[in-house]
Amino acid sequence: MKTMRNRELIPSFQRPASRVMIRRAASYEQELGTLIYESLAEFGLAVKEKVVLLKPNLVGLDPLGVMNTHPAVIAAARESFLRLGASQVLIGDGPAMDRDTEAILESVRLREFAGPLAHMFVDLNVDDVQRVPLATRASRLKELYFPKTVLGADLVVSMPKLKTHHWAGVTLSLKNMFGVVPGSCYGWPKNVLHWAGIDQAILDINAAVRPNFAIVDGIVGMEGNGPIQGTSKACGVLIFGDDPVAVDATCCRVMGLRPEKIKYLASAGTMLGHINVDKIQQVGENIATVQVNFEVLAEFSGLRKAA
Amino acid sequence: MPFLREAQNGDGGWGFQPGAQSRVEPTCWAVKAFFSRGDSSQADQRAIDQGLNFLRTSQLADGSWASTPEEKTGCWVTSLVCWVLAGARDEQFAKAIDAGLRWVCEDWPRDSSWLQRWVRKLRSADRISKQNNALRGWGWTPGTSSWVEPTAFALLALETKRAGELGELAQKRRRLGEALLYDRMCPGGGWNCGNPEVYGVAGEPLVIPTTWALLALREHSDQRENADSLAWMEGNFAKIQGPGSHALAQVCLAVYGREPSAGVDSAGDYHAKNESLRSIQAAAWTVLAGSDSQTWLGDRVRN
Repeated sequence: MKTMRNRELIPSFQRPASRVMIRRAASYEQELGTLIYESLAEFGLAVKEKVVLLKPNLVGLDPLGVMNTHPAVIAAARESFLRLGASQVLIGDGPAMDRDTEAILESVRLREFAGPLAHMFVDLNVDDVQRVPLATRASRLKELYFPKTVLGADLVVSMPKLKTHHWAGVTLSLKNMFGVVPGSCYGWPKNVLHWAGIDQAILDINAAVRPNFAIVDGIVGMEGNGPIQGTSKACGVLIFGDDPVAVDATCCRVMGLRPEKIKYLASAGTMLGHINVDKIQQVGENIATVQVNFEVLAEFSGLRKAA
Repeated sequence: MPFLREAQNGDGGWGFQPGAQSRVEPTCWAVKAFFSRGDSSQADQRAIDQGLNFLRTSQLADGSWASTPEEKTGCWVTSLVCWVLAGARDEQFAKAIDAGLRWVCEDWPRDSSWLQRWVRKLRSADRISKQNNALRGWGWTPGTSSWVEPTAFALLALETKRAGELGELAQKRRRLGEALLYDRMCPGGGWNCGNPEVYGVAGEPLVIPTTWALLALREHSDQRENADSLAWMEGNFAKIQGPGSHALAQVCLAVYGREPSAGVDSAGDYHAKNESLRSIQAAAWTVLAGSDSQTWLGDRVRN
């Protein structure tokens, strides 16, 4: 049984190995519910009677469907957590560039997949907030306001899309947590985080919020000039894990990138989870069998694995 | 309006949704919506008075307003409050507005300081985005970069009559702010948050920042950039998917004397479809869209 929302920082050398599962999923049209339910069940998450918050990556209007976490994955994850006994499964995000969250929800067609959103979706940009002092101080920020829905959930599940990022290298389950920082306090975009240092802010936010599970939509990802203007990249996987750092490290390896070369991941690997392959128990598909090399901008060519 | 009336909290403010904690921004939009109704009933006037009182008592000692009751540092909502309080045309708010506008005028963004421009050149950051960094608008929070919406709100606040008393500094900030908005326009017209081009790829405009930029720049309606942006708005009106954007696009077109294209869902249709978020802001913008803009946009004077 897992402990819900443990915010204690444990040095990685004292942590037990993490487990990451890679599952093949060829398309969004296939039946994803069973696949996700069975994958989650293997982790033995103690979600019975708990409140679960799914945090997808909803970036903006996305007519081509390559920018945001796909609604089929979000809806299947929600159904799966309910089947596992969660008392409530909320979906929440605070898009960074466009304050019309309702337009984004329409654009991604979440209602079509998940049903009426009235008591299910929380716009984290405008939720009630609470001040949280930052213990890690990786950035110069001393505190941040976070949505009460995020702080009150028993289980926060980061659900990013598998994407490269033009400033951070990659945007996966850790970077996805920028979306819990409320725009109503910090604006659109949440520019204070850029000034604080993107890499450092990622660490501070994740140390404060401590998402305790990750499901990465890698069925179709994005390469190049992500997270908005990149190009789609079919990868055909869903990646699960109860250590978001280990999940992100595995995602990098699937993308043909070296996680230890991504600044924030390297730092996260010392205090928030594991990036060392020896400390990650790989289940499901083998990385080598699903690996698809993602293009990165020239600035990030050093992230590529040697051929 | 009934939705807004019922959603007012006991402290006179509004939250972003009914039942949520009172915040400055939704209170501003709700009060603007009540203003836009013209002659108010007694009940509506009481709602306005209580809303204005919430705003006045939320002001920080340095003249600014914070986005949340707990926060002690002012931010972009200061412009919004000054704009709303000025619309009340009531001398009792004069001191609060003056202090707020002074704070707005002295709140310089960090990205355009000479030091930051020099650092940018050293890092070849100019390659990432093409923009004139000598121009200075306003950021969402102090000590950050200039962005379209907070710059537009500051310009709307600095249009008000009381800003005329701030003299040269206010005029200079208006000139710089207007120039910044034109500089940050997306190629072909319209605005997004303020990234017209990144790594050589043109940014996509968005309805909400385009509306506020066009309202802040409405005095220059004969400028080519205004016409291009208006054309973008008209061309995209039928594709709008959110009630907030839909309402603001209507506001924008009406202020420029244009009619929205036919065959588009009504505001009611939008709210029925988007039952999800019960947004005070979207509801208030919808009320504004159905009102004469003279009732809430005005109180402007050219310094």
